[in-house]
Amino acid sequence: MSLETQHRAKTQATLATEAIVGEEGRYVYCVANAGEEISLGKIGIEEHEVYAIPYKDVCAVVHNCPAQPYHSDDQEVVKAWVMTHQKVVDAACERWGTVLPLSFDTVIREEAEKSAEQNVKDWLKQEYEEFKRRIEKVRGKAEYGVQVFWEPKVIAQSLTSASPEITRLDEEIKTKPKGLAYMYRQRLENLMKHEMETKADECFKDFYGRIRKYTDDVRVEKTKKAEPGLQMIMNLSCLVYRDRYTELGEELGKINRMRGFAVRFTGPWPPYSFVGGA
Amino acid sequence: MEPTRNSHATLVDLLDRVLDKGLVINADLIISLAGVPLIGVNLRAALAGMETMLEYGLMKEWDVRTRVWESEHRKKNVEPIYTAVVGR
Repeated sequence: MSLETQHRAKTQATLATEAIVGEEGRYVYCVANAGEEISLGKIGIEEHEVYAIPYKDVCAVVHNCPAQPYHSDDQEVVKAWVMTHQKVVDAACERWGTVLPLSFDTVIREEAEKSAEQNVKDWLKQEYEEFKRRIEKVRGKAEYGVQVFWEPKVIAQSLTSASPEITRLDEEIKTKPKGLAYMYRQRLENLMKHEMETKADECFKDFYGRIRKYTDDVRVEKTKKAEPGLQMIMNLSCLVYRDRYTELGEELGKINRMRGFAVRFTGPWPPYSFVGGA
Repeated sequence: MEPTRNSHATLVDLLDRVLDKGLVINADLIISLAGVPLIGVNLRAALAGMETMLEYGLMKEWDVRTRVWESEHRKKNVEPIYTAVVGR
């Protein structure tokens, strides 16, 4: 059995045990900074009505659903769900200014003696202080994605011409017999690797310092595979005051214009990276 | 430069956030979602072959080291501004 089939079998088994017929759930999009009891209309996943369940001056933005997760093997369907999730969070953000987004497919269940609705209310009540603290942290700010790439070829070239040792090795290889040339090439590669990493270190620290100045908080994410010819050397989520993103953009523009470098600047996103964890 | 949020070009950025991040709810309250990570994995694999891996093969360790540096740096350096504002 392939890994994927195994996974799927496992998932379906789990779904079968989880989906208890007739049990009610509440799909939660976000927690917003307002105590309104209000409907946002049928803007939810599969056109469900989205509404707010308030507690004091916060509310959970939800729709009613069976107590089971959304699941589909059709990627287009899942993609549409995810986009809708995001649109609802956006709508809430527009209405109330500050929201704490949840990740896709979070469904609060009912329990033996307690409705799903009551569970949502109790959750808000229990976490109220924490929510208020997190709302204060992200108030007036948005999340932006910043990814810095370089072109390894261009960088390697400039490092080669800047290093007498590499230049010399590079020259010597041409004059060596095959076996020896191989050893030289190994040495050259090791040297190059070291130089590239040192350079990447310098760039990371330099850019990090420059970007940090315009942000309230930063999360360093793992770098990802980039399109051919490019390598990602920095992947940040930045929490930025709404009126400071242009300054950040200007600084990023400077990095983007450096030879052999490129910057991807995305957002504004709801503050997904700054509301989880401790 | 201006930030972009064109829904096609930034779908991967959106998925990174919507599938992995956000407010966490106490596990007792929610349906346990064994299917969710799978949705993320399959969808992303289909979208862009986006494993977290560096081409040139050589810089994976560097990437890890860099994040360690940042977290040390963060501990040693200035508290984020918001703590001053909120007075936590």
